[in-house]
Amino acid sequence: MKEKNHKRRRSGPGRAMVSAVMLFFFLAFFLLFLQDFNWQSLALALIVPVIILFGSFGISRLFPADTLLLSLVNFLCALGVLVLYRLSPERGLTQALNYGVGVAAMIGCTLLIRYMPSFRFVNWAFMLGSVALLALPLLIGTERNGANSWITFGGRSFQPSEIVKIALLISMAHMLAKRKVILTMGFAAVCVLVLAVQNDFGTALLYFGTALVLGYAATGSVLLVGAGVGGAGAAVVLGNMIMPERFARAMSRVNVWLDPWQDVQGAGYQIVQGLIAMANGGLWGVGLGAGNATVIPEHYNDFIFAVIVNEFGMIFGLLVVLMYAFIMIRGIMIARNARTLFHALLATGCAAMIALQVFVIIGGNIKLIPLTGITLPFISYGGTSLVSSLCIIGIMQGVAARSEAGVNEDRELAMQGGGLK
Amino acid sequence: MKQVKNNIRRVCIFLCILFALLAAYGGYSITVNGNRWFSSGANTFVRSKKKDVIAGHILDRNGQVLAYNQQSQTAEGTKTTRLYHTDPLVRRAMVHVVGDSQGNVNNGVESFMASSLYGFQMSLVERFSCFFRGVQRTGDDVRLTLDSRLSAYASGLFPKGKAGALVVMNYKTGEMLAEISLPQYDPQNVTAQAKNDPQKPFYNRAVQGLYAPGSTFKIVTASSALENFTDAATRAWQCTGQLQVGDRFVTDAGTDMASGKIVSHGQLNLLRAFQVSCNNTFAQIALNLGDQKLKRTAENFGFNDNFLFRDVVVENSSYPRENRTEREIAWTGVGQSGLTATPLHMCMVASAVANDGVMMEPYTVMRTVSANGIMRTEAESRVYKTAMKPEAAQVLKGYMRTVVQSGTGTAAQIPGVQVCGKTGSAEVDTQENTNAWFVGFIDNDAHPYAISVVVEDAGGGGSVAAPIAKQVFQWMLNNGY
Repeated sequence: MKEKNHKRRRSGPGRAMVSAVMLFFFLAFFLLFLQDFNWQSLALALIVPVIILFGSFGISRLFPADTLLLSLVNFLCALGVLVLYRLSPERGLTQALNYGVGVAAMIGCTLLIRYMPSFRFVNWAFMLGSVALLALPLLIGTERNGANSWITFGGRSFQPSEIVKIALLISMAHMLAKRKVILTMGFAAVCVLVLAVQNDFGTALLYFGTALVLGYAATGSVLLVGAGVGGAGAAVVLGNMIMPERFARAMSRVNVWLDPWQDVQGAGYQIVQGLIAMANGGLWGVGLGAGNATVIPEHYNDFIFAVIVNEFGMIFGLLVVLMYAFIMIRGIMIARNARTLFHALLATGCAAMIALQVFVIIGGNIKLIPLTGITLPFISYGGTSLVSSLCIIGIMQGVAARSEAGVNEDRELAMQGGGLK
Repeated sequence: MKQVKNNIRRVCIFLCILFALLAAYGGYSITVNGNRWFSSGANTFVRSKKKDVIAGHILDRNGQVLAYNQQSQTAEGTKTTRLYHTDPLVRRAMVHVVGDSQGNVNNGVESFMASSLYGFQMSLVERFSCFFRGVQRTGDDVRLTLDSRLSAYASGLFPKGKAGALVVMNYKTGEMLAEISLPQYDPQNVTAQAKNDPQKPFYNRAVQGLYAPGSTFKIVTASSALENFTDAATRAWQCTGQLQVGDRFVTDAGTDMASGKIVSHGQLNLLRAFQVSCNNTFAQIALNLGDQKLKRTAENFGFNDNFLFRDVVVENSSYPRENRTEREIAWTGVGQSGLTATPLHMCMVASAVANDGVMMEPYTVMRTVSANGIMRTEAESRVYKTAMKPEAAQVLKGYMRTVVQSGTGTAAQIPGVQVCGKTGSAEVDTQENTNAWFVGFIDNDAHPYAISVVVEDAGGGGSVAAPIAKQVFQWMLNNGY
């Protein structure tokens, strides 16, 4: 019976989708191979579809999983590898490696959530560890693009805030499920403050938004959201009084956002080039490998969305946004099917985290909101970011697997005559 | 738990709204501004593609070739050079509209229409066809609404060595017939002298020059009076020659040299004040209206708006927004004190009066045609804004007629033709003389043309700018317009 169950799951829309995604990337890398006859392109044309296959079906072989969701996530990850490889083969190859590691981490997270009975005993460790990790760059950090939130370790640099995301989500969901609202919000506020002090406003905004969304989901209190926003406003005013110099620097970003064309060659350069790249792409894009979006600083990171619109066009860009929306909605569905408050909040947090991150960075790219440097989940270059994003998906899958297991247990109990509850 | 699940649903709706916002704003922004971004000078992509495509021609409304390519054989192979109209006077007159191959002029057709000229509008089929036939792709031809002969003629009317601008447009359709800026330079031979000239010949004054509109702004002040005062036409105003506002004065007709007395207009109504361009009256009108009402009327005429015309990139005109003293408000009624507008925008203001209060969107590209003759786009007229009620426009038209018949603008008279207009002499702190302005139009459905002329540092609008307008209209009437 179990075997039959799996077979049913592997057919249907998920399966067709995975095949399409694999074909897309095989052809795309093959196209790049035809452009430069580099064996690496050919190797990726074979390897990337294999990772996609594993990332989509590997998990569903281990336990029931949502292949449609997985195929979307894999599509976005592979899209990142493709675009990065096209921009710089070296980065593309590194990203492919990160992708493989990320899929493994995703499975690890799924297993963790599926089988961990409770986070009660590790919660305090998570919280203290989070704050300590976040504060670490203040002591031994290196500065990148004005944000002092990186740690270099053994020749590799990474952002602790990406790892802390996972702990933050678990801790907040855990405490909110126990109705410790004040404690949760206090913890989130400390994290946000530490990030703001490091000038990492993008991540601070992301944490802040996620905390508010989770707080609202747990309490249903608009007052809480209002207090959060008010507190942030007060913090900004206070920050202005304590450190006017730094505040002025942040305000200059807002000015650049209002009119980047005032200083096309200077402060506004990045945004302007991003906008131009998207305009060059038009509806259908200039074609893979035909654009010149490398003129944008951080084209492989903050501005990768502009590169995608440049080469694949606006319609494709809209579809990418739609995929993120679908991933978010899938996460919310998992949350609503969850069987405990903790798991429901956990999945909600994951969905909100991904959605807000997408909003903050794409919104910055298209000049909807001021630009803050954070990564586009799954796509941007960067090991920590990719792995943590995949971990978040792993957590969602874990929650789903746990609910499914719960349903099955109930059914078995019922069949044995035990009945429900 | 149930409550939480409901909350989660609301969270989902909120996040969905964020995504919808992203998609909607992104789509809107790229659709509306895409061409501006694309044709920006900062776009390196277009430059990199230029070598692959033979650029299309630029033609004027009569089919005169303004820009074309010449291929020559060199040691390295075929070399393509971009050439401009054969007559140096014509290519100098058109240089600010057409632009040059080095991109010295902002938003010239050469850069703004790059997507047409360099074949970015070609369909996939056409691209493949060129690819398989092994021919180099050729971009689309761009045909303008402008008349290059008129432009060359009008350029010659300006006093020697003076900078300025002139715009002629059809006030019923919005198509522009002339858009010239002085000084000019030769696009085919850009000299170091042109680059270093303090008068900045690369600068397109017709659309980039933000001038104080001076007395031409009285059209807007008068319109605001007609809109807000029920007795606007009959109310009597007192001109003393020197209106005290706070501890300063709004000056008027000046001082009589012989007697040393301050000259005044005495008691007058709005028509008379408009006819003689009485500063005192218009300052009083502005003070009586108050800043907010005058600003609202100015905004109805397009001040403080972000102009997003399809193929003409115009600097935004501004009506000062905040912290205004009484004195500044008084001066605003006369068209000074922080007000700025481009010659094109003032031409639109005159057009609105001529066209029953309806302001048409200006455009310069008539059509684009592919290399093998397929029509790609053809311009159609669009309304930009309704600036005022038709009745108010009729009254203002009458005022502007008397200006030319027996007021400050008599130099624009043409026998047998109804010319309406308004002169202006705008003061600029850094200049010895005033900027001479004239905006006006021919009030005749068969010849629906509006004009705006600015001559910098030249003197009175009635004596310097109005005669230029007259000669341009005369030339147009003689040449079948």
